Amino acid sequence: MARAITPQRKALNTAIAWTFGIMIFFPILWTVLTSFKTEAQAIADPPVFLFFNWTTENYTTVLERSNYFRHFWNSVVISVGSTVLGLIIAVPAAWAMAFVPGKRTKDVLMWMLSTKMLPPVGVLVPIYLIFRDIGLLDTKTGLVIVLTLINLPIIVWMLYTYFKEIPVDILEAARMDGASLRNEVTYVLLPMAVPGIASTMLLNIILAWNEAFWTLNLTAAKAAPLTAFIASYSSPEGLFYAKLSAASTMAIAPILIMGWFSQKQLVRGLTFGAVK
Amino acid sequence: MATQHSRAAARLMISPSVILLLGWMLIPLGLTLYFSFLRYNLLMPGANPFVGWENYSYFLSDPAFKAAIVNTLLLVVGVLVITVVGGTLLAILLDQAMWGQGIVRILVIAPFFVMPTVSALVWKNMFMNPVNGLFAHLAKFLGLPPFDFFAAAPLASIIGIVSWQWLPFATLILLTAMQSLDSERLEAAEMDGAGPLSRFWYMVLPHLSRAITVVILIQTIFLLSVFAEILVTTNGGPGNASTNLTYLVYAESLLRFDVGTGSAGGVVAIILANIVAIFLMRMIGKNLDA
Amino acid sequence: MGRITLDKVRKAFGDVEVIPPLDLTIEEGEFVVFVGPSGCGKSTLLRLIAGLEDVSSGEIRIDGQNATDLPPAKRRLAMVFQSYALYPHMTVRKNIAFPLKMAGLDQAAQDKKVEGAASVLNLTDYLERRPGQLSGGQRQRVAIGRAIVREPAAFLFDEPLSNLDAALRVGMRMEISELHERLKTTMIYVTHDQVEAMTMADKIVVLRAGNIEQVGSPLELYRAPRNVFVAGFIGSPKMNLIDGEEAAKRNAHTIGIRPEHITPSPDAGTWEGTVGVAEHLGSDTFFHVHLPGREEPMTVRAGGEVSLHHGDKIFLTPDETQLHRFDAQGLRI
Repeated sequence: MARAITPQRKALNTAIAWTFGIMIFFPILWTVLTSFKTEAQAIADPPVFLFFNWTTENYTTVLERSNYFRHFWNSVVISVGSTVLGLIIAVPAAWAMAFVPGKRTKDVLMWMLSTKMLPPVGVLVPIYLIFRDIGLLDTKTGLVIVLTLINLPIIVWMLYTYFKEIPVDILEAARMDGASLRNEVTYVLLPMAVPGIASTMLLNIILAWNEAFWTLNLTAAKAAPLTAFIASYSSPEGLFYAKLSAASTMAIAPILIMGWFSQKQLVRGLTFGAVK
Repeated sequence: MATQHSRAAARLMISPSVILLLGWMLIPLGLTLYFSFLRYNLLMPGANPFVGWENYSYFLSDPAFKAAIVNTLLLVVGVLVITVVGGTLLAILLDQAMWGQGIVRILVIAPFFVMPTVSALVWKNMFMNPVNGLFAHLAKFLGLPPFDFFAAAPLASIIGIVSWQWLPFATLILLTAMQSLDSERLEAAEMDGAGPLSRFWYMVLPHLSRAITVVILIQTIFLLSVFAEILVTTNGGPGNASTNLTYLVYAESLLRFDVGTGSAGGVVAIILANIVAIFLMRMIGKNLDA
Repeated sequence: MGRITLDKVRKAFGDVEVIPPLDLTIEEGEFVVFVGPSGCGKSTLLRLIAGLEDVSSGEIRIDGQNATDLPPAKRRLAMVFQSYALYPHMTVRKNIAFPLKMAGLDQAAQDKKVEGAASVLNLTDYLERRPGQLSGGQRQRVAIGRAIVREPAAFLFDEPLSNLDAALRVGMRMEISELHERLKTTMIYVTHDQVEAMTMADKIVVLRAGNIEQVGSPLELYRAPRNVFVAGFIGSPKMNLIDGEEAAKRNAHTIGIRPEHITPSPDAGTWEGTVGVAEHLGSDTFFHVHLPGREEPMTVRAGGEVSLHHGDKIFLTPDETQLHRFDAQGLRI
């Protein structure tokens, strides 16, 4: 049992931790606050913190003026699409490795992981040329394919570690009860693995949403997701802080919320089960 | 421990993943390797003659390559030092009793979920801009001249931004490891007369060593490939001051359209990443049946 | 319905042969218990019969039909697992109905059978609960319910009682025996607990290292163990086994004598020793007697009221007609 801690000590801990917490969070907070300012207030010196005329006009401007919504939609399609496709491919593989392990299962798992360690730049050129030649450059399909492949090892791994926690007995019971393989997976494995599948899905949507190598290199105006679209603010437009902030806030808000929900599962997913 | 039926089914079910990943790995890798031996420039159509090691010698002797290697190392090591030290301290801090622990935790991990382009832009414009950035305002308030981050210290600024993005990752993993430390063991050490510092040094740090290694290895894999932050803030400049290996290969192949040299650079990057990957794989492999 | 024949069934994992070629016939309606120490291959044998593992060679026939290559679902066998293996995300009703649903029965027929099984097993009030909300004994009943609704050719039980506490175990033992009486279906029951084997079985199969040591009714095994292993394994407290001089006197390598076949006496007898620990069970008292030159104490049964104390001198006289004699290979003479 942990012993009681004096209230003074606890208050001190609280003060220090909150100070650091707010410092680390501050850039995000500042971005959100700035998104509600006018452009003049956004660059005011001294800076205004909370007491300004809150306005939502930046959001309206961003949504009206540019094709913001299209890029947002691209992000949704690409991240959700690649995750769902990845799950469809990975669930059977994870089932096989978790429940019918063979001599080489471990090698296969490690090999899958090793593909994740390939630096993307090492294969940038051929992928770029292949995509150019078969017309996949700047298409959502192309990005879904690439992101599915780069995240597949993580999906397989995460599912594998979750499946491993399901007792084999239960699947064997289903087999004894007359379930075919498909029924065993549909009626027994998948319902039991829902929490694991959900967190795998969440983490992968986050990773795919924020992916900023392939999305930047393989898209132009048409299929660019938010990562690439926001990057286009780097030159002159970026000086419109309030609008930049509004665009950024909308780009990160959904993922921030999902991330907070999945924080408990993150560690396992990001360390491939090496830290639990 | 299974039957022929289930084994056959397992092979069938695993094959899509294996075939796709095999294709994803072998085809581009083979092509990269192949291109790296050709004189191949997208701006000069025509024959792409075999040139042996020419691209490699060109790439490796390019002063930009040396700069890129140094920058890559500085970037990786700098970010690792900041995030591991900071992450350990933060993990210990967050492990203490306090009010609102959950909320602080959420605040601390938030930067990890911000897409790289957004965080780079926000830092570049709203904080580090020498005229309108918050830091410039702060300097003015203190009576100091404003500091032009990306002109004067481009790599350090990028290290700062990337550290901010990865600090949450280190903290979260080290905190998880921290929480698995048996508090009775610490109390026993305390009974044995160990002060807070020696408890940290002899109990906490060895317990965290595994997690720290994992953090270092995984971050290294990602940090070798930092790209968006550089593209958005400095474009590798001024000069090559903030060009890392990834950015250099990108510049060779997609800005200068020199596929041959870019591919040679890609092969170099793969070799470097593999050195780290081997260590990481060993760590994970050891843990696999445990 | 429910005659199972194993013909030279052999199982190897890689180079390790866990079950050497083995023949066994389980008659229709029999309650057969596979018993043996852990690692003796009894569970593997059950899983071979279930079809959860492939035999390496040999043939398994169920009701005369070759089932060696049939998948588990097609063997018409039902299994109760040690962990119960209930589906945690389904209600008790759905758990029990699952095999029926897999068999494609319509909803009404499913309900009727589930409710029938539930009333037999006293589960009617729990049908809408999930396994997590049930006690160990109730979960066990659900597992049995799921097995009986299928009306299988045979039931397979894999150490079903080992997760229950002692009191519950006795109760469930009776219930399973009752069930067998009522259904008259073949049951194969795996356990490491020889008490379960003795109390429940029509036929016991004693296994060691994948080999069948002896097959027979509980009393046959008790009265005439075929070898030293069975002699030592069946019976509680264990049979006293004596090597050396005393055995040689009786033309054997090893002799065995059960605790109830030894008469203790304070003043005269064949062997002289010292009283060690005494276990008073009320109806019986078991003395552990130390004989000179013997490491293991002898176990002796006496009546409920015997006044012998730790350290007292004691004389033991075996009932020579009840002695078991074994040769150097451990086989019964």
